[in-house]
Amino acid sequence: MIRSVSHQPTRAWNHAHQKRHRRGWILITTIIIATVLFAALGDFSSVPWLTLTGAVLQTTVRLVFAYLIALSVGVAIALLVGWSPFTDALFPVFDILQNVPSFALIPFFIYFLGYTDRMIILFAVSSVLWPILFAVLAAIRNAHADLNDAATIFGARGIRRIPFYLMPLSLPAVLTGSIVGIAIGWESIIGAEIITNAAGFGSFIKDASATGVNQSAVAGMLVILLIVFTINRLVWAPLMTESAKRYAE
Amino acid sequence: MQSDPARPAVVLSRVNARFADQKRNALALKDVSLSIPAGSFVSVVGPSGAGKSTLMRVVLGLMRPESGTIVRNFSKPAMVFQNYALFPWLTALDNVAFGLRMQGVPRQERVRIALEKLREVGLESIARHYPAALSGGQRQRVGLARALAISPDLLIMDEPFSNLDTITAEALRTDLLKIWRSYGMTILMVNHLIPDAVELSDSIILMGAHPGRIVNSFDIGLPRPRDPRSPQFFREVDRITGLIRGISQT
Repeated sequence: MIRSVSHQPTRAWNHAHQKRHRRGWILITTIIIATVLFAALGDFSSVPWLTLTGAVLQTTVRLVFAYLIALSVGVAIALLVGWSPFTDALFPVFDILQNVPSFALIPFFIYFLGYTDRMIILFAVSSVLWPILFAVLAAIRNAHADLNDAATIFGARGIRRIPFYLMPLSLPAVLTGSIVGIAIGWESIIGAEIITNAAGFGSFIKDASATGVNQSAVAGMLVILLIVFTINRLVWAPLMTESAKRYAE
Repeated sequence: MQSDPARPAVVLSRVNARFADQKRNALALKDVSLSIPAGSFVSVVGPSGAGKSTLMRVVLGLMRPESGTIVRNFSKPAMVFQNYALFPWLTALDNVAFGLRMQGVPRQERVRIALEKLREVGLESIARHYPAALSGGQRQRVGLARALAISPDLLIMDEPFSNLDTITAEALRTDLLKIWRSYGMTILMVNHLIPDAVELSDSIILMGAHPGRIVNSFDIGLPRPRDPRSPQFFREVDRITGLIRGISQT
């Protein structure tokens, strides 16, 4: 962001970007057409669409809650640690913590919280948190020394350093951390649903695939793919484009 | 603008500073003593590793020296960076207004001042642009305007021209002298080109490397305004270059 050579979005950059954008949409359209085609050919006649929709909604709602909690906690911790003089000391600690496989901890979550919605959400928080926290902390740690000095010299000192310098500085990292975090979040929630049999997409495909790959399982996977790609295209892709433009070097 | 040796802006006496990170731990400044007269324009010249940037950071209080005393007779320091160090998330205008915002100046007032400073460096038209859309020269002008906006009494510049092409750098040097004349602040500039230092400064501090230390300092004996194409100018550049060469050979 503070390199000598100005790098403006060139025609080549725009071209590559648009190509990627087009590919994304082609993928989604393909999935939709495939789903419709399967349905039209009668392959999905035995799929309980209402149950599937309900299950997907439940899983999605859990993910949204888990993401929002992980986002606020992760960003808050990362900003405070990055602001404090202990960043370098605490970084290895977080590094070890993030390496703990979250599913190894699920018995604890079940023990303390039971087979509840709250358990699944908090369990997911424990895995979504790390990529966000790390992305923000790394962005703060890797900020150019000159930029840090500029912020200090021009008055972003003390607690004001957080809202006026550290927060805007780490915005692109919040974005990339969120994308990774949400991907992990789907895994954790669906995994937790499979393990605990709580109503949701996880238990839906578990039940559906109990008798091998069948129509419901395939329909379920297509629906999840569709949701993931739609969120990516409608939410993350535009935000990433904006961030790349704004924070370009 | 009249420099007054009796009223120094910065005095360093026997300052030692250590540069330490994961990769190395070295004495960056050894026994550095200097006095910068208020209102003067002083250039710091030396090879890389001579602790020039460390000296700037110590003067500004961004880095704590290991030993020695520092007297700071300035209250509003500002800095211009080699890599511009503009905040990429802010427009040129908001970058310039950043210091005022931190001082609690109301929005209307700080926008007025920031626009005025942008006009001073000839960039009023790009006020709403983000740094990514600006050229190197424009970015450095925004960096200069950001520094001027807080009406600094000490302006520190760390190789401000080294990333710019010669024509842009020359234009910026001319503007800088104009600004220095009208503001009258003290300017401490790290420079790596002797002719630049001779054109701009009242005096030159020469630093040596490993460990970073002050080797010598010279006054520039040329009246202002200086013509960088005059024989006198070339003679002065030769004289200083000769002095530096003499020192680095011993």
